[in-house]
Amino acid sequence: MSNFLIRRLILAVPTLAGVLVVVFLLLYVAPGDPVQEMVGERADAETIARLRRELRLDDPLHIQFAHYAGGVVRGDLGTSYITGRPILGDIAERFPKTLLLAASAMVLAAGVGITIGVVSARFPGGWLDRVSLGAAYLGISFPVYWVGLLLILLFAVTLRWLPPSGYGSAQYLVLPALALGSRSIAFLARVTRSSMLEVLNSDFVRTARAKGLVERAVVVRHALRNALIPVITVLGLDFGYYLTGSILTETIFSWPGLGRYVVNAISRRDLPAIQGSVLFLSVVFVAVNLITDIAYAKADPRVAYE
Amino acid sequence: MRLRHLLLALVPCTALACRGGESPPQRNSFVDSRDTYDPRSLDPALSTDVPTGRAVSYVFDGLTRFTPEARVEPGLAARWDVSADGLTYTFHLRHGVTFHDGTPFVAHQVVRTFQRALDPATKGGRAEPLVPIKGSADFAAGKAKAVAGLSAPNDSTVVITLSEPLASFPKLLAMPVASIVPDSTPPDFGQHPVGTGPWKFVEWKHDDYLKFTRNTTYWGGAPATDTLIARIIPEPSTAVAEFESGNVDLLVIPQGETAAWEQTDEKKAMLQSAPALILYYLAINTTRGPLTDARVRQAINHAVDTKTILDQLMGGRGFLARGVVSPILDGADTSRARYAYDPAKAKQLLTAAGHPNGVDVELWHSQDPTIARLSQAVQGYLNAAGIRTKLVQRDASSAREAARKGETDMTLKTWYADYPDADSFLYPLLYSGSKGPGGNVSFYASPAFDKLVRAARREQDDPKRAALYRSADSLAYGDAPMVPLFFYNDLYAVQPWIRDFKVPTIFNGQRWTDVKIVGSEIRQ
Repeated sequence: MSNFLIRRLILAVPTLAGVLVVVFLLLYVAPGDPVQEMVGERADAETIARLRRELRLDDPLHIQFAHYAGGVVRGDLGTSYITGRPILGDIAERFPKTLLLAASAMVLAAGVGITIGVVSARFPGGWLDRVSLGAAYLGISFPVYWVGLLLILLFAVTLRWLPPSGYGSAQYLVLPALALGSRSIAFLARVTRSSMLEVLNSDFVRTARAKGLVERAVVVRHALRNALIPVITVLGLDFGYYLTGSILTETIFSWPGLGRYVVNAISRRDLPAIQGSVLFLSVVFVAVNLITDIAYAKADPRVAYE
Repeated sequence: MRLRHLLLALVPCTALACRGGESPPQRNSFVDSRDTYDPRSLDPALSTDVPTGRAVSYVFDGLTRFTPEARVEPGLAARWDVSADGLTYTFHLRHGVTFHDGTPFVAHQVVRTFQRALDPATKGGRAEPLVPIKGSADFAAGKAKAVAGLSAPNDSTVVITLSEPLASFPKLLAMPVASIVPDSTPPDFGQHPVGTGPWKFVEWKHDDYLKFTRNTTYWGGAPATDTLIARIIPEPSTAVAEFESGNVDLLVIPQGETAAWEQTDEKKAMLQSAPALILYYLAINTTRGPLTDARVRQAINHAVDTKTILDQLMGGRGFLARGVVSPILDGADTSRARYAYDPAKAKQLLTAAGHPNGVDVELWHSQDPTIARLSQAVQGYLNAAGIRTKLVQRDASSAREAARKGETDMTLKTWYADYPDADSFLYPLLYSGSKGPGGNVSFYASPAFDKLVRAARREQDDPKRAALYRSADSLAYGDAPMVPLFFYNDLYAVQPWIRDFKVPTIFNGQRWTDVKIVGSEIRQ
């Protein structure tokens, strides 16, 4: 296991180096000049030239890259062109909020989605199965933007049960987590159902029933555990996406997370902020994939990592 | 936002939703919802965006400041004198003013503040309002240790010498970047600002909110309410929901929702409007292809039905433009004849210019929904008049860069005046020295126009100055380096428990000092 971890961690280095190069080049060829964004609507050519010099934007590309990559290796993601604050500090301030939102959405989605999936599989064709199938199609089809606004209108504006947006106590978390998790609930329910149906028809489940186990033990302990591999895959993928910035959800609910930070950085051409965030998010994505792989082994002992 | 209307139709219970205004909130703080993104910094030297400029106007004071109606009035300078040649301004400072940390405000801080803003080490980006001061260029370039035109002969007097007369200078000093900072500005000053303004800084949660508390000893009279919170809400529909829930006191009505708010009496009662110093215009690059011919540019002006565009696409929120100077400013001519909507005349002009078969041009615009809609409408009118127009949509940053480099035939965009003066439209938009990044993306260059603007900038007599600007505006309007479409009106919804709020005409013209919450005194 530890060999596997070390190998995966070593393999992550070229992945991240590749991300670094690609992001740097993409931003270089993309139109839009950070200095023009810094000076606002009117400026003179001298100020622009001075700022370009200060930011080393006139250096040859490979020098700029070496300068940036050198900082990254030392753990320094640089400072924002716009705010002058260190990028790492900005990320450290926002990522925990994105993590909180993503984790809440995933816990909600996993709890509700897997439960629906298991029950639907146990009683295929029953009312819950049909309702959940319909709901799942709707959940997958609705854009999160629309679901978010709908939730705000219903629970905040009309019923006044929850605040419409913002960051604060637990009640501020409910609506964004629901909006973000809704798609996963639907998808997880479908994946769990089909995986469970397959397992429930297999020989060892019949054996378990034949030896007189109560139905709940058959379904939860034997069948569900065996059906979990595809479910974990979906969970891991969704969680990775949520962590890398649930931009729409954060925007609709005024949630001060990393997704909005990245979008702002892009619209203002804040190159160090874009590069730093993308690099950081790549690390997160690699880590989540790694954790998913380890979770496979926990769910199914036959999956062994050498 | 069309999506919202769809939602409203789908959720029947939303009919109850607009009851936001019935009871005063259980709080004695104002909550603003206008900021859509995080301020850059709270350091005046870095204020190049609207959220920053607003926050700076709460915490800091300049020598002068703007009223909500965009008149300039004394700030930290109680009064000022101008020398006969218009070159030297003597500011007599207010006595007994202290910064929020208790240190007294004295004249040398003004000198230090302006030098700090001009200093390249500040990496501010834009100290443009201070550039007219004599010696500022040498100082910014590192050729001089101090700004020659700045001096503080005693604790209560600041003398500023300009390199050439500029009658609008007192207005420039009301801009956020010229706000006065104390002697001590540590590296994190932008996160923990200390000023002399009506509100003391409390905390800033990035992308979430800014919080200020009243300065009880404010020289201009302490604010009526304890706390001011500026929430940062990126999505306009969310801001509407927050307003309808009674959580925020002030709402900018999104462009697409104007009609919905004007429909019901209950909502309409909450609306307040004021002309904003914002011009929507189609810049025509006067140096490209057929557009070098004034007749082609005039044809473009005749081809576009600006009245229908304003009425149908903008809900009538604005004044039709007859030049680039806002009708609420001195120097505007509200009786100037506009280019009539006349496609036949447009075709005649094209033929006269040697283009009987029309011309092909590109119109660049950003993906801002309003700008994109306006561009599509303009394209339709131009195509109908034989000016075959191809739309090119880019993100705001790219579209702006291309226009500044002169790579676009036409660009549809907005211009936000920095200060309430005809000069803030005419000089950046059309003066030959402002070409490209300076704001003149028409690349218009007319010696006669330049001469009029230069004369106006030097003229100390207000009526004469206005007349000069009017002439310059008329001249440029005839040359047609753009299609000035309309000046936008801001439309706000204000909660019924709020009193004495005035919609500011300029972004930093409302400091919330006179505004009150009805009923709040009972709870104090």
